[in-house]
Amino acid sequence: MNKVLTVCPYCGCGCGLYLHVENGKIVGVSPSRSHPVNNGSLCVKGWNAYEFVAHPDRLKYPMIRQNGELKRSTWNEALTLVAARLDEIKRKHGPDSIGILSSAKCTNEENYLMMKFARAVLGTNNIDHCARLCHSSTVGGLAAAFGSGAMTNSISEITDAKVLFVIGSNTTEQHPMIGMHMLEAVDRGAILIVADPRRTKIAEFAHIHIRQKSGTDVALLMGIMNSIVNEGLVDTDFVRRRTENFDTFEEVLRRYSPDVVEGITGVKANDIRRVARIYAMEKRSMLFYAMGITQHITGIDNVRACANLVMLTGHIGLPMSGLNPLRGQNNVQGACDMGGLPNVYSGYQTVTDPKARKKFEMAWRRKLPESPGLTLTDMIEKAYDSSLKAMYIMGENPLLSDPDLNHVKEALERLEFLVVQDIFPNETSEYADVILPASSYAEKDGTFTNTERRVQLLRKAIEPIGESKPDWEIICELSNSMGYEMNYRGTYEIMEEIAILTPSYGGILHHRLQEGFGLQWPCHNINHSGTPYLHRKKFARGLGTFITVDFVPPDEPPDSEYPFLLTTGRIYFRYHTATMCRRTAVLEREEPESFVEINPEDAERLGIKNRSMVKVSSRRGEIELKAYVTNRTPEGIVFIPFHFREAAANILTNPATDPGAKIPEYKVCAVRIEPLAKPKKVRRIPSVDLEALRIT
Amino acid sequence: MKNNLKNNKTNANIYIPLNGKIEEITQLTGDVRLFKIKTETPIDYVPGQFFMLSVWGAGEVPISVASLPEKNGTIELCIRKTGIVTSAIHSLKTGQSIGLRGPYGNGFPIDISKGRDVILVAGGIGIAPLRPLIQQFIKNHRKAGKVTLLYGSRTPDEIIFRDEVEEWEESGIAVALTVDKGNDNWKGNVGLVTGLWPEVRTDFKEAVAYICGPDVMIKAAMRDLFFLGMPDERIITTLEAHMKCGVGKCGHCYIGPQYICTDGPVFSYKEIKEQSILK
Amino acid sequence: MKKELILDKNNLSYWLRQIRKKRELIGPLMNGGNDIVFKSVDKIHELVLDCPASLPSPKEFIFPQYEPMLRIRQASNVKYQEITDLSEKTRRVIFGVRSCDISALGLLDRFYLKGHKDSYYAERRRNTLFISIVCKDPDPTCFCIGLGTGPYLEKGFDIQITDLGDRYFVQIGSPEGAKTVKAMSFLFRRPQKTDYEDQYEVFLSSKARFHKRINLKGIRQMILEEKVKDDFWQWVADRCFECGGCVYNCPLCTCFTVTDRAYSEGTERIRLWDACMFKGFTRMAGGILPNEMMVKRTKRWYYHKLIHYPETLGGFGCVGCGRCTITCPGKIDMASIATKLKGLAISEEEK
Repeated sequence: MNKVLTVCPYCGCGCGLYLHVENGKIVGVSPSRSHPVNNGSLCVKGWNAYEFVAHPDRLKYPMIRQNGELKRSTWNEALTLVAARLDEIKRKHGPDSIGILSSAKCTNEENYLMMKFARAVLGTNNIDHCARLCHSSTVGGLAAAFGSGAMTNSISEITDAKVLFVIGSNTTEQHPMIGMHMLEAVDRGAILIVADPRRTKIAEFAHIHIRQKSGTDVALLMGIMNSIVNEGLVDTDFVRRRTENFDTFEEVLRRYSPDVVEGITGVKANDIRRVARIYAMEKRSMLFYAMGITQHITGIDNVRACANLVMLTGHIGLPMSGLNPLRGQNNVQGACDMGGLPNVYSGYQTVTDPKARKKFEMAWRRKLPESPGLTLTDMIEKAYDSSLKAMYIMGENPLLSDPDLNHVKEALERLEFLVVQDIFPNETSEYADVILPASSYAEKDGTFTNTERRVQLLRKAIEPIGESKPDWEIICELSNSMGYEMNYRGTYEIMEEIAILTPSYGGILHHRLQEGFGLQWPCHNINHSGTPYLHRKKFARGLGTFITVDFVPPDEPPDSEYPFLLTTGRIYFRYHTATMCRRTAVLEREEPESFVEINPEDAERLGIKNRSMVKVSSRRGEIELKAYVTNRTPEGIVFIPFHFREAAANILTNPATDPGAKIPEYKVCAVRIEPLAKPKKVRRIPSVDLEALRIT
Repeated sequence: MKNNLKNNKTNANIYIPLNGKIEEITQLTGDVRLFKIKTETPIDYVPGQFFMLSVWGAGEVPISVASLPEKNGTIELCIRKTGIVTSAIHSLKTGQSIGLRGPYGNGFPIDISKGRDVILVAGGIGIAPLRPLIQQFIKNHRKAGKVTLLYGSRTPDEIIFRDEVEEWEESGIAVALTVDKGNDNWKGNVGLVTGLWPEVRTDFKEAVAYICGPDVMIKAAMRDLFFLGMPDERIITTLEAHMKCGVGKCGHCYIGPQYICTDGPVFSYKEIKEQSILK
Repeated sequence: MKKELILDKNNLSYWLRQIRKKRELIGPLMNGGNDIVFKSVDKIHELVLDCPASLPSPKEFIFPQYEPMLRIRQASNVKYQEITDLSEKTRRVIFGVRSCDISALGLLDRFYLKGHKDSYYAERRRNTLFISIVCKDPDPTCFCIGLGTGPYLEKGFDIQITDLGDRYFVQIGSPEGAKTVKAMSFLFRRPQKTDYEDQYEVFLSSKARFHKRINLKGIRQMILEEKVKDDFWQWVADRCFECGGCVYNCPLCTCFTVTDRAYSEGTERIRLWDACMFKGFTRMAGGILPNEMMVKRTKRWYYHKLIHYPETLGGFGCVGCGRCTITCPGKIDMASIATKLKGLAISEEEK
């Protein structure tokens, strides 16, 4: 039996785990004891991360749609067809009629190649990936404020922090190993503040749990900052030396007194003041946020407000002190770093910057497009109005993950040509013209970058299943057949190219990652040992900027017709569109069906019983699922996990997006709930008088 | 409860199912079917025991025997469609093969009913494990003791073995039926099965009770019978649990210090209280 | 043949090399940062002796995380089914196992082999030889000393070795162990008086190095006397992350689930580790969840280990290996709970 150290393919924690290999099959998983993130622990998904790899459903050979049916083909046929069709569409409709979705599940090397393929081979900047749906507001918001959109601190620092302020993150369930560090910090005496409308598990451990109304985060944060200013807790020295634009910001801030904010958010003014004091007065204060902040039409503003808060108190640039967006996917940080975005090359070098473009043009020996491409959400729009003709989707499943699914479905149907490259058939691949079978994380080399910017080596444990191939090999072969030569002996050669073109990855090379547990970027050169925390002496952009934000209500607040506010999210035993965890016996058993969490008061009023079927409808569609009556969700709000195709929450969600980040507002839309079955009325025979019977 | 059959002490792999052939399928109600399965060599078993039925690709599921052992090696199993495996079984046709392992579990203690009146309490599909008991009582021409069956279903359409119930009545068993919800044609009782105690013309203190049904019903029935003076050890029930192996290894059915599959599934109220099994 | 022998350290790798000709040699190797993992040994000199605890426990070699049970091939002819038993028959030697894990094997044997015999376990157990090593330097998480399951054993092992600096004190505890030594008898010599003295010294110094002494009997008594209140169990449940790590890592947890996988070459029935920490573990037909409340599940684990194991198998369901302490994200492992309860008991007495 061999055991191969590699990285967990589920969430952004990036836990180190061993894959147990016996006779070329994966037979188990165990945690790494000395890994800085998980120290010998794993969550249930990690412990079961081996089983899906050899599942019979794996895509084992390429398939081509012929007469409406997907039929097995050879690699040669499939790649030739893809090359020919993409070429044809490019010639007929221009390169911008093609859209590429890269993948936060794939390695850095693969994302880099995908972006190179889009830009150099196809000649379009239309490349994006699911970060659009989770943290595009972080990337945009923090880039503007600090110059770098990533977690500023390291996960291992959390245990030594004194104040943890968690807003819009269900950490113990979605980043369990980060949750573990937080709990440890609390055990050591740290104060935990959680701001979340739902009473999540992490909120159970909180010293203060504030339940703001969904979509009022800007107001809440402004209220806290207002209080900090009023009580003289501002780090004036930091604001003067390290930031700019404070005065304009302060003018707007004055309007958000805790009492005004109480009216907007429903959080008591006193609680706002308490949080402000606790957060501001302790230097080792870490602020964490996740989807609860980013998935709003005000996503960027929410992020900016967070950035303003840490700058106001000077809680950044030190260990155990900073602003920490918790990234969702195992390599969503890396996919962004690699430029799987329409406006930047790897290392966030913008496509509109002539100097950067020139550099990549010289390296790639191709003329590159000058204007930013389409975002994921825009691609769907353009496909819908038929100006986008083809899409090439690698390791993503927009037909379950995107908002307003009925609309997405129609958009994909209107495409002339759709290529899906994945490890399992999924909702999206049902519409594919060509399916290219990819290898899973256990069958290839490469690197993943976790949420704390740690670039770690993924090691191959077994040979690819069936005829599947690692994504990077597929991209190389496709590129070669389209006349642009991509030849690499291994992923380490791709990494070398990335290092040369990407300043923050300058010193990250595979041989440096072999020992230990990776390097945290920025790592500028071969002698640099990585950066555990960011913005030490100055911000990446020089001075930090206070960007003025103002409260804007959600796009679709509840009304008389649709009186409930629907918020969506994930659950512990499931992961995203569930392609992997549904094929894992234990995970599938735990949560076999979807549910809607509803408050007991609301349920009582509507006559909904726990576990009874209900119909949830919005302006865009309706789904039927079980009700789960619980106090976790406050009155007026319902929660549905988005993992289940049988009752896809995204049929209901609102496709309205943040104007800057183009992130959809998954966290707020208006819905109506009706019980499906009327509660049964049982006519009872009169209860028996046991006493009387006993005497006889 | 002690096992009525000796353990299989062979070296054979206990997880390999025997091959059974479906001889007959009877649709009993909307989602309940009776499967008559024939094995190559007759298998001996007693009422209250169960078999692990397996459909390849779907998995295994424990099903109590619904008949007495036959010399020709047929076993009747009454199956309600509730999950993946039971749905797979329902999709099988006559003549197809099905895997089975067993019999497992202890079975109903029969001796304690010698010379005593018997009360059978069934709820829903809970009638199935009691059916072989009833058949046995009829077969033995019990003259000494009176047998009463109280049987509750959700609706009149969901009364399983409705025709047989009439036959049982003809053979001298006192039967009282009830449903949770009646319909226009239903003229019988409506309400819980525990509301039928007045129908029992038997001295509770001297009788034996065999109960099978949903947990809530079992709990209520046992409590009532105890209150009515029946001794703990003569209140007998059979329990249901999540099972994967049937032989006390997989751990799913472990409750208190007992495994439902090997120490049960038949327990007396005495054991249930002592081991705090039903909570 | 004598049951006690001396092996010169220089001879160890030769001995293991000879054993490896007949069996797959598994041993503790350093990996990544400072991880110790048990895997096939390629270079014998890289074996790490006296290492910290490995994750998971060596039970993975006799009750593996993923074990194919049966394969069935259904021919188009309905009547014909070919069932293949996929029992693993590889002969293995696991070198460098700790005493606590060997103690656990005794209980596992009683569990899997009594009554209905689990043939997959039996087959692997028969083909696996364990060479255990006396712990010279226990981890801070270890507490076998309070349970009599370590740091060294009097019986129950195949072969137990004690590191005496330049040589090993070798004890033989089973016929299979004797066979393995006998085949290479020229490598061993009889122990002298000083060897016994040195071995005893190792035992003493090892015992002195334990950080934790935990009295599970006392905890069991507290639970039996109903001194552990519901709010305590609720506190435990609230901290549970439902990762299953305690169960997966535990050398004495035995639960599994079974699943079918329909491959084109036949359907495989596989068994996988499962954990009672999950609510679906006891899901009944129709979706009823008897243990939906977390508190029922954490309590069940502790009751099983502390109350029911001693009743049914004659020993605690814990050998003090400390793996749950290492792995538990909520710090509600056996040692932490025992310490906490002891504290509660003392403060109760103070009142």
